[in-house]
Parts: sequence; structure tokens; C-alpha cells
Amino acid sequence: MTGLWTQRPKFIHLGLFVAAYVLGCAFAQILAFMPGTGISIWLPSGLFIATLLFASRSTWAWWLLAGCFAELFANTLWFRSPLPAAFLIYLGNALEALIGAWLIRRVLGDPVRLDTLQQMLIFVALGAGVAPIMAATIGAATVDGFDILSQSFWTAWPLFWIGDATGVLIVAPLALAVLQNWGDRTQLSATQWMEICILGLIFGGVAALSLNHYLSFTYIVVPPLLWAAVRFEFKGAAIALMFLVLITAAFTMSSGGEFPGVSESPKERHILLQLFLAISALSAMIVAAISRQHRLGLLTLRKSMDTLRHREWELTQLVDVVPSHLWRLTPDGEPIFFNRRMADFLGMGVADIDRPNATRLDALIEAIHPVDAPGFRTALRHSLATGEPFALRYRLRRADGVYHWMSSRADPLRGEDGRIVQWYGLCHDIDDQVHAEEALRERERGLRELLDALPINILSFAPTRKMTYASKRYIDKVGAPLVHIEDFDALARDVAHPEDFPRMFAVASHGFATGQPFVNRFRRRDKQGIYRWIEARTQPQRDASGTILQWHIVSIDIEDEMHAQQALRAAQDSLARQSQAASLAELSASIAHEVNQPLAAVIANSHACHRWLTADPPNIERANKTVDRIIRDANSAADVVSRIRALFKQSVDTRVNGAIEDIVAEAHNLIAEEAARHRVLLDVEVDRGLPAIFMDAVQIKQVLVNLIRNGMEAMAGLAEDKRLSVRVSRIDNTVQIDIRDHGTGIEAPDRIFEPFFTTKEHGMGMGLAICRSIVESHGGRLWAEKNEPKGAVLAFTLPIESKVLS
Amino acid sequence: MSTDDQIIFIVDDDARIREALTDLLASHGLRTVAFGSARDYIAADKPDIPACLVLDVELPDINGLDLQGQIAASHHPPIVFITGHGDIPSSVRAIKRGAVDFLTKPFSDTDLMTAIGTAIAQDRENRAARAELAGLQTRYLDLTPREREVLPLVVSGLLNKQAAAELGISEVMLQVHRRNVTQKMGADSFADLVRVAERLGIQVTHSRRAGGPRK
Repeated sequence: MTGLWTQRPKFIHLGLFVAAYVLGCAFAQILAFMPGTGISIWLPSGLFIATLLFASRSTWAWWLLAGCFAELFANTLWFRSPLPAAFLIYLGNALEALIGAWLIRRVLGDPVRLDTLQQMLIFVALGAGVAPIMAATIGAATVDGFDILSQSFWTAWPLFWIGDATGVLIVAPLALAVLQNWGDRTQLSATQWMEICILGLIFGGVAALSLNHYLSFTYIVVPPLLWAAVRFEFKGAAIALMFLVLITAAFTMSSGGEFPGVSESPKERHILLQLFLAISALSAMIVAAISRQHRLGLLTLRKSMDTLRHREWELTQLVDVVPSHLWRLTPDGEPIFFNRRMADFLGMGVADIDRPNATRLDALIEAIHPVDAPGFRTALRHSLATGEPFALRYRLRRADGVYHWMSSRADPLRGEDGRIVQWYGLCHDIDDQVHAEEALRERERGLRELLDALPINILSFAPTRKMTYASKRYIDKVGAPLVHIEDFDALARDVAHPEDFPRMFAVASHGFATGQPFVNRFRRRDKQGIYRWIEARTQPQRDASGTILQWHIVSIDIEDEMHAQQALRAAQDSLARQSQAASLAELSASIAHEVNQPLAAVIANSHACHRWLTADPPNIERANKTVDRIIRDANSAADVVSRIRALFKQSVDTRVNGAIEDIVAEAHNLIAEEAARHRVLLDVEVDRGLPAIFMDAVQIKQVLVNLIRNGMEAMAGLAEDKRLSVRVSRIDNTVQIDIRDHGTGIEAPDRIFEPFFTTKEHGMGMGLAICRSIVESHGGRLWAEKNEPKGAVLAFTLPIESKVLS
Repeated sequence: MSTDDQIIFIVDDDARIREALTDLLASHGLRTVAFGSARDYIAADKPDIPACLVLDVELPDINGLDLQGQIAASHHPPIVFITGHGDIPSSVRAIKRGAVDFLTKPFSDTDLMTAIGTAIAQDRENRAARAELAGLQTRYLDLTPREREVLPLVVSGLLNKQAAAELGISEVMLQVHRRNVTQKMGADSFADLVRVAERLGIQVTHSRRAGGPRK
């Protein structure tokens, strides 16, 4: 209920509807001239259908209620039928409106438009033909049943039907037009206003004449009625029909006009009148519909033409504005269209290239660069003959005489029978592109020349180790590997010296696997089969995401460098030997002094001895003394000589990489028995993980033994706590060996390493000098320190050589 | 040779050499004094008799050649060098500075004795020359001042007249002075006087202010 209430129409609309309905009833009462029938043209039926067609379906209940109220009110005023009869008649009318509206809506769709003849005919058939059957049947039955004015069913039914149909025909279109165009304020032109005025005058004149009984032909209104229908469609037709009805009503009331007088039978006259109005209305409606359809058709046509014209304009714009040349050829190759850009470029349109005694194509080819023209002609002829697409690059002369590179394509358009109808060509200016390409090519050539000119070889490999590039210099020098070896592995195996290959290949494999740049030095065989040292540096080239695209190898000949290095090494060796020789000279001077000293004494003593013996008398006592001295000094000399021999015995340089802990252990073993004999406790401590040292194991062992023995001898006078510690540790890039004793200590730490300096009773003073020379020849240092609280520390270092694999 | 009127000094740091040389020279009847270092030798009280120094080049405190340089200014006995490893520059240097010989160890008995003999002889000569000069200097000091003026002028070969004019005295006075000088200096003749003047190092000069002998 609330839904019904909220969806009610505005009360003013309902009020207007009721008023119009009551007016329609009044009009019907007026026209009911035939005494005793009470049935005439029922205008409310048209109003009812039009209202329901226009209103939304949810409000129909309201309209039905309003209609009921209006009809019962009119019945009270004029018809004076019994209330049940009146209600039944209304029920018939309401059903008619409902069914009519429902059918028309169903067939014509929502909203209902009366724009075409077909719509008009459907409207007439359903609204004026089918729907009134309901009202006529119920109305006639009611009249018959209640015996109103003593009419039978069959006499009442046609009257009812025609009356309702006429009402629908006259009122429904008008009401629909008024309702649908209520807010529409179509501007009428001056001519139309003029026409309306003339029509109005005609109608007014006819009406005036008719009312004065001067003119008693109602039919005279029909032509102006059609006129109005043609010119003003439904609105005109509806208004004119209203006029016709009013005039007819006026005649009828005054019992003038043709209808009252045509027939004696009032029933016939009544039917005639109704028929006249119905047919007039039907004709006017149909004419209006045709007129409207025609006008709409014209309107649509004009719109389509406008659209077409606009599309054509857009296409033309497109063709002319597109930054390319468009052209069309006949199947024979004759140009028939250039777009504006092409015409502007050439400085002539397709019509301007007509020449006497020459085809348009020849004229066009004249604009092509002489070098490219023959190719163009051949290619075009080939395409025309075979139907294959045409594609070519050529230089085309611009209007100012400058040739521009063009890229041109043309495809054939084939008809339904497969024959070529036309050729469509597209051609664009690629001059800048061609120049850029040329510049690029030039740069690339320059770069390549630069690469070839550089005294390096360049190779590139894909990540799959397939060769992708080899510089000219490489090919010239090493051969043409591209021909037979494209794979890095095979190439390396082929050109690298067999001795160098395993190491070089291992380095390369590691580099390729990890993506790290790597450097290789190896001997490479060149074209003549000669091995030369090269240095090859390899670097990956990566894209933005870090993926390796290529490996580039740059190799440089380092043969001369290697020779230079070897020479340098030889020079260094020689220098080392010379410095060794210098120290030997010094040493030999000392040795000579040391040997000559006792020798000089021996000789002097010998002479003295000789003189004592040859004296007169011989001095035997002095001679004996002298001989003792001779023996002593000669032995001393022999001792020196034997020690010197010992010194030079170990001069053979046999250095290898060895573990210092092994040497210390061996020295310990050698000295262990002697240490036990002297009751010396040897405490050896070697750090773990010391690197190998490049040294002469025998010499270093002798240094160790000598220093340990010195330390033990220094402690010879001690009664107890004869402890000697040997400690080996790593300090930076050296290994340091400390030999620590608790003996008498050293008085002259600087002099003890000088040859023949000795603090021992029987020492010659060569030991520490030799030790120092050995350590220094290993690149180390030997020195002495005081030990706390007593004793001495003899320490020496040996360098850890960081030899670079090359 | 008598062992009393000559002495051999030995300086060597090697005791064996000192012993052997002392013994050898003793067998030759020579008196020796041996020192272990240069310092000991310099400090020692040495008799004023003809002597010879046998010097080792390699000494613990000072090089023998340097010692030679140090004592060059004084009257010292001639030096015989002995060395363990003699080199040519050292020997040249030593000889130029007046060393008698430069012997490389081991050296022969003969070489050493010859060198020592030469050295002793040289020292004797030096000593005799020094003694003669000392006598002449004593005589020179006896001359009067005028006579000391006359001596250089006459030995330079000036005529008596010229010399007299030079000194502003008469020729006769000059002749008196000349006779006195010749007599006092113990010269037998004018030629002898000239030789004496030369020994004394008197400058031959024409100058009026010519000085006496250089000290």
C-alpha cells in the first residue's frame, strides 16, 4: 500500500485528468443527438489510453481510480444510469484502456512513438480496433441487461464500438503528442506560422459559414485537415480533427449539416457521423504518419550525408597530413594519385607530370636519381608483371633539386576476381636515417681500423666460449682461427705452449666460471710456428642486469719484456755474485793476514834457529826454544787453512722451498747427543703453520747447529740451569729464529761477527762470520742481543718469499 | 856490529811475530826492544843511539803508515815496514815518506837483515850530519852582529868593494871582518866558507837586511 501511495502521480495531474475526462463525457452527452441511445463519440477512451501509454505502469491504479470517479460523476450529472450499470460501463471502458495500452506497449515497446506508418497502423489497429471491443461488449451487455432506453445488445454494440474507436483516433494521438512534447518548444519558422494562420482562417471561415447555415457541407473541412496533417503531422492533424469534431458537434446540436438530414433513420445518421469522423481521423493520422516518416527519413539521410562528408574530410586530411608519401598506380604502373606531401615534395601534382610523348611513370622516374632510376624501373616492372609487392630504397629529387633517400613500398589491391585493380604505394623520407647509418658505418669502420692499428690482439667470445670476433691483427699474426677453430678450449690447446697450457687453461676456466676478469702470461704460437710470450687480459662485458654478454680478450706481445726481465735477472745475479766476490776478497785478505802471520813467525823463527845452530858454539838451548815456536805457529797456520776449507765446502748453492720446522728438528737431532753430554736442556718451540722458505737446508742447518753449539759453550762454566731455548716464529714477512742462552753473555756484540774475532781459547773466530754470510746470502739478518737477566740471544731472520706465478 | 851502540825497535800486535823477530835479531847479535802497540812505542824511553824501527802496518790502535806520518817531523829512526798483506799504494806511500823498505810477511831473513843494516847505516849518517851542523851553529852564534851581516854578502859572490858599499863601510874594514868570519867558522878557504854557509842554510842575498841562518 505504501508503495502504491509513494508512487502516486501528482494530484494536479490527476485533477487535470479528471477534468478532461468529465469534459469528454460532456462532449459525448452533447453529441448523443440520437434520442434514446445515450451513446455517441466517446472521447474519454482516447484520453484514457493516451494517459496509460504515457504514465508508468506502477501508477495505473491511480488513473483507473481517477477515471472511475470522473465517469461516475458525469453519470450523476448527465447520463443518469443506475449506479451498477454506470459502474459496469466504466469497467468496460477501463478494461478497454488497460488492454489497449498494454497491447500497444507490448508491440511497439516503451516509450510509444508514432513516427512511422507502421507504428501508426499498429496503434490504430490495437487502440482503435481491438481495445474498443471490450468496452463495446460490456457496455452493450449492460445497456441490454439494465434495459436502459430499451436498446438491444446488437443495436448498442456497433454504436459503442465506433464511438470508442473514433474517440481513440481523435484524442489519443493528440493527447500523446501534447503529453510527449509538453516541454518541447520547437521553434516554428515564419512560413509555418503563416501556414498556421491560413489554416486557422480556413477553419474559422468554414466554421462561421457552417454555423450560419450558409455552407452545410462538413466535408469541406477534409482537404484542410489533410493539409494540416501533411505539414504539421500529428499536432496539426490532431488540432484540425478537434476543429472537425467541434464543427460537427455544432452542426449536430443545431440539427444542421448533412448528417441529420441525410437519412431518416437516426441510427443510420449516427453511424454515418461516427464513420465520417472515424475515417477522417484515420486518414489524417495516416497522412501525418507518412509525412512524419518521410521527414524523419530526410533528416536521417541528411545526417548520414553529413557524417559521410565528415569522414571523407577526415580521410583526406589523414592522407595529406600523414608524414609519408602516398601514391596510387594503375595496374599498368601509371601514377594516378599523389598525396599532398608527395606533391609538395616533388613540386608537382599527379596532373602536372603529364608530358607529351611520355608516360606519367617516365616523368616520375625522371625525378629519381640517375643511379637509382634503372633499378627502380626494373623493380617496378617486375612487381607489375608478377604482382609481388614492390620495395626499394632510392634517391628522389625534391622540388629544390636536392636528392633525398626514400624507402618505398607498394602493394596491389585485387578485385574479387583476383585481378589487380590498383597499386597502393607508401614512401617515406629516410634521408636522415641513411645519413645516420652512413655515419655509424663510418664510425664503425674507424673504430675497426683503430683496433687493427693498435699493437694488440683482440678476441671476443660468447659466454658459450664460442669465438665471435677476432681482430685483423690477430688473424694476420696468429693465423685464421675463425676458419678452423671457433672454440676457446680448442683454440687455447692449439696455440698455447704445451708447458704453459695447463696453468693458462686452469686460470681461464676459473675466470669463465666465476665471471671474474683474469690475466694469463704464456707462450703462444704464431703463424710461423714460433712461440712468443704474450700477456692476455680477459674481461667480461655485462648488460644492465649483470648478465655476461661477451668475453673480450686483449693480448699483448711481451716477448721483449720477458727477455728484458731475464736480462735483468741475470744482471741481478751477476751483481749478487760480484758483491759476494767483494766480501770474499775481504775475507781472503783476512785469511791471508791470518795465515801469513804464523807463517812469518815460522820463517823468522826458522832463520833464528838456523843461526843458533850454526853459531860457534851452537846455542842448542835457544835453537830448541825456537823450534818449539816453529811447530806451534805452523800448526796454527794449518788450523786456519783447514777451517777455511770447511768454510768453502758449503758454498754450493742448492736452495729449495723447505719447511723451517723440519730444519730445526734435524738440527735438534744432530745436537741432541752433544747437549745431553754437556747437560744442556734444549727447549725448542716452533709456531704452527709457518710458510715454506726458499733456502739451502744444509747451510741453514749448520747456522743453527753453530749457534746452538755457541750457546752451549757459553754456558759451559755454569753449574746448573743450563737451559737453551730455540724459538721459531713469524714476524711480518719473515721467520725469526731466536737462540737464547744463559751463559756469560757477549762483551762486544758488534765485533763478534767479524772474521777471526773470537773469545774462545781455541776458536778461530770464523763461525759467526760464516753464519752471518749464510744468513745474509738468504736475504736475512743475524744479530746478537743481551738476554735478561744474563746470557745472550742470537737471532736471525729468513724472508718468506712471495713468489708470483707468472 | 856491536850490540851496545845500536838498537832495533819492533812494533807488532802479534806476539808470535814479536817473539820470532826478537829471537832472529838476537841470533844476529842485535839488541831489540819489542812493543805490542804504537802507543807503547811512543811512550817508551828510547836510548840516543843509532836505531831502526820495524813497524807492522796493521796495528790494533793505529795504522803503521799513520804513525809514520805522525813522527815524521821529529828525529826518528828509519822505518822498515812489515805487513800481512801489502798492497802497492800503501808501499809507495811508505817509501815516499822515507821508509827504508816495505816487507810483506812472510819475509826472508836476508831481506830483513839488509833492510835493518841499511836503516842503521842511514841513522848513523843522519846522526853525524846532525852533529856537524850543531858544531857549525855553535860557531855561528860566536860571530859579532856585523860579521853575521858580512857573511851572506861575501858568500853570495859580491866583490869586497860592493859588499862594503852595501854595508856602508870601507873596503878595508870589510876585509877585516871577512878574515875574522872565515877564521871563526873554521873554514879553510873561501870555498869552504861558502859550503858552511850553505849547510847553515844562510840565504844568498844582495839585500842589506839579509838575515842570519834560519832556525
